[in-house]
Formats: sequence, structure tokens, C-alpha cells
Amino acid sequence: MVAETLKHSPLEEEHLALGAKVGPFAGWAMPIEYAGAVSEHRAVRERVGLFDLTHLGKVDVTGPGALGMLQRVVTGDLSKTEVGHALYNLVLNDRGGIVEDLIVYRLGDDRYFVVPNAANAVRVLRMLEEEKALGPLHLMYHQDWCFLAVQGPRSVEVTGKVLTGASELEFMRCTETEYRRRPVILTRSGYTGEVGFELFTYQDIAVELWHDLLEAGSPFDIQPCGLAARDVLRLEMGYALYGQDLSEDRTPLEAGLSWTLALDKPSGFRGRDAVLRQQREGIPGRLRGLLMADRRHIPRAHCQVFDRNRRVGEVTSGTFSPTLQRGIALAYLRPEMDLGAALEVEIRGRRGSAQIVRPPFVDRSPR
Amino acid sequence: MEFPEDLKYTKEHEWARLEGDGRVRIGITDYAQDALGDVVYVDVPEAGTAVAASQPFTEVESTKSVSDVYSPVTGTIVERNALLDEHPELVNDAPYGDGWIVVVQPADPAELEALLDAAAYRGFVEQVES
Repeated sequence: MVAETLKHSPLEEEHLALGAKVGPFAGWAMPIEYAGAVSEHRAVRERVGLFDLTHLGKVDVTGPGALGMLQRVVTGDLSKTEVGHALYNLVLNDRGGIVEDLIVYRLGDDRYFVVPNAANAVRVLRMLEEEKALGPLHLMYHQDWCFLAVQGPRSVEVTGKVLTGASELEFMRCTETEYRRRPVILTRSGYTGEVGFELFTYQDIAVELWHDLLEAGSPFDIQPCGLAARDVLRLEMGYALYGQDLSEDRTPLEAGLSWTLALDKPSGFRGRDAVLRQQREGIPGRLRGLLMADRRHIPRAHCQVFDRNRRVGEVTSGTFSPTLQRGIALAYLRPEMDLGAALEVEIRGRRGSAQIVRPPFVDRSPR
Repeated sequence: MEFPEDLKYTKEHEWARLEGDGRVRIGITDYAQDALGDVVYVDVPEAGTAVAASQPFTEVESTKSVSDVYSPVTGTIVERNALLDEHPELVNDAPYGDGWIVVVQPADPAELEALLDAAAYRGFVEQVES
């Protein structure tokens, strides 16, 4: 049973009516699965799925001081992000450890919209509060907003039927539209590897929006999808998940996310010096993809990885890929372990053969 | 959720059916498959493998977790469900039918008497859920 202290989505009744298993996730009671993770996964890969992601953070940063303040917190260079564009960023601590990964959407000249992970939302908010600003700015933490995602090859038709502006939107772009005369932030982004949209608006219209999207998707056999399917979808793309693959004990260089670092931006950013030092000194491990040879072997987080008798790393995320019909994993491996190398993963006392591969594990693109 | 009357049950959520020839067919219950979610792999042991009552004899793996399967009786596996090698989803689709896992020749058929009947197992599940 769901504990009373959990936060609840405005769509919980809808989820229960659809037969969802609702469970605790990052302090929220959220739908884990409806029909089952495998059929939901297939709906997103082949048609379209609808997700409730209201547990994620939603923070507006507005004002002349917004850009300068954000620049010192996040790793990317937002001065190069145009209005209507989005940028994936990390937030680091002074040791270069990853505190958070988040997307920053630029909605206007002085208006940014930040979406942190549910478990980190309050911490990120504190960092934004405490960072010095050279100009006035406001932070608005939208606790009264919901967050829905429409993902899959048919998501353009479905979202376009309900919201204007969807069909023209390119990958990693954002716009403001409306639904029932409420503002909606609409973005072409996602965590599934498919074409998809993310929608942010007020909770009081969440139920109507949910139903309208389901109805618009019914010609394509849209399926409501839970967090279990989302985890399989993101792992098939090799997308790192905060709390599993990313943590304060790992740096962007170790996580394979050095592409998110604007090391030469004039503002600098927290953790930059530590990252530069590690760049000179070398990394202790690197996040890699592992593809299992035999469908019987499904790696899970904390499984140890071996090169013959030498332990060379540990799995941080693992699952069964319905697309490949094989086990896949992300694992931190010793840096000398090269792509293509044959290793073994110890799964509950038995060894299974694996190969180091470069994600994505599946041949899909969200563009 | 189904609790067929002709089966015996364990508190670990396996079912056992005494067949006409004195052998026992074993699988996991409707409740167990629902709790596991989509099953993606069943490690079905080979015929000839010895199993012991209340001891795990195999594993069922879903997209989200892996769960031991306990034998309701002591004996020897005489038949394995080879269909599950390629179609593990049968455990979800027909837990009491095509999703069976093994057939065991029991050492002592009287062991079945000690297991839960449908009403007792239903009561146990309701208690777990509340």
C-alpha cells in the first residue's frame, strides 16, 4: 500500500481506473506499469505511448540575472542557446561529482525553464537560490503543474491534434502554446529514443488533457505507459539515469558526458577545475554499454564485471531489452577496457558472457 | 485474480496440481505473475533434477526483478516446459495453463496435503495485500 507521506499526481484516479500498479518513486506515488512493461515498450517503439511524469521538477528562472546565474550552475553554455531551444546540462559539485542532470529550455530572452529529477528538485532549487546573481531574477517552483509525455513514432499526429504548434517543433526545441486557455510549455524531447513531446501545464486541467491525448491517440492504439517501460526504453538508448548511473561519486568524464561541458565559457561553472584536473590525471572508470551473449543472462545493478579472474567494474543499470531479446547494461569499467572486449558479468553467482558496445543498444533516434 | 479450486498452493505463491498418474505439475500463481510484471526469462530446470519441498529450484525473471520459485514437494523433475524457453510470457498469459514450469514425481504424495487449498491461499493473499 502507498504510504500517506507520498506526493500524488492529479492523474492517480485515472491511472488506477486503467489498472495501473501505482508505487512509490522518488517520494511520489506514480504508475509503474499498466498492461505490462513489455507491451508498453512496444507501443512506444512502434506506435505511441502516454506517460505521467508529474514527479519531475519544474522550475522557472526569469529575469535579467537568470542567464548569468544559470551559467555558473550548469555545465553547458546557455549563452549559445537561442530562444525556443533546449540544452542538456549537468550540475556538478566542487569535486566534479555529478549532482544532477537536467534540461534547460529557453522560453524567452530572460526566461528559462529547468526540469530536474524528482529526487533532486529541491536540492537544485537550493543551488539556484544560493548562487550569486548580478541582476534581478525570480525562481518559480511549479508544484501545481503536471508533466505529461507523448512518445513514439505517432506522437506528432497525437500531440498535434490536441495542441497547436506541435507538428512544426524540431528536436530539442520548445514553445509555449495553450490548452483550455491555460499556458502549456510544449517541448520536442524525451527519454525514450523515439520522436516525442513533453507537456507542462497546470494540474487542474491534467485530467482533461490526459483524456484528450488518449482519445487523439486511439486511432494509433495509444497505450498509457509507466515508469518501468520508461526505464527499459531509456536503457535501450544508453541514457544514463541519475541515482543509478550518475551520482556525486562520478564525474562527467567517467560518465561519458564530457560533451555537456563548456570548459571554455567565460563564467566557468562549479566543478570545472576538478574536471580539468581529472582530465590531466586520468579517470578510474568509464561508463560503458554491455550486451549479453545469451538471453538467459539479465544483468542488474551492482552485478560485478570480470575480465577472466580480474574484477574490472560494476553494473549500474541492467535489464532485458525486448527489442534485442537480450540482457543489456550500463557499467563502470576500468578505463583500459576497450569497445568490443569480451567480459563476464556475475549474475547471482553465475557468469554470463558480455561484450562492450557503444550505446545506443537499439537503432532508434529521437530526432 | 484467479484461485482455481483444484490446486494446492504455497505461501511463496506456487501452485501444485496432482495429476491422474500421481505426478505433480508446478507453476507460479496468478498473484505471483501479476506482482512480477512481464516475465522475460524462466530458467526451466532439466528433467532428472532433484527438488526439495520449500527449497528454490529455479528463477523467474521479469523486466523489473527476479524471483525464486520454490518447490511445493520433494521429488524429481520428470518433465520441463520447453515452451517457456522461447515464450516466457506464457507465465503471465496462462499461469495455471500453458505457463506451467515443471512436472515432478513426488517422493511422498502426502506432502501435498500440507499445502494451502484455494480458500486458504486466497485468504493469505488478501492478508498480504492489506
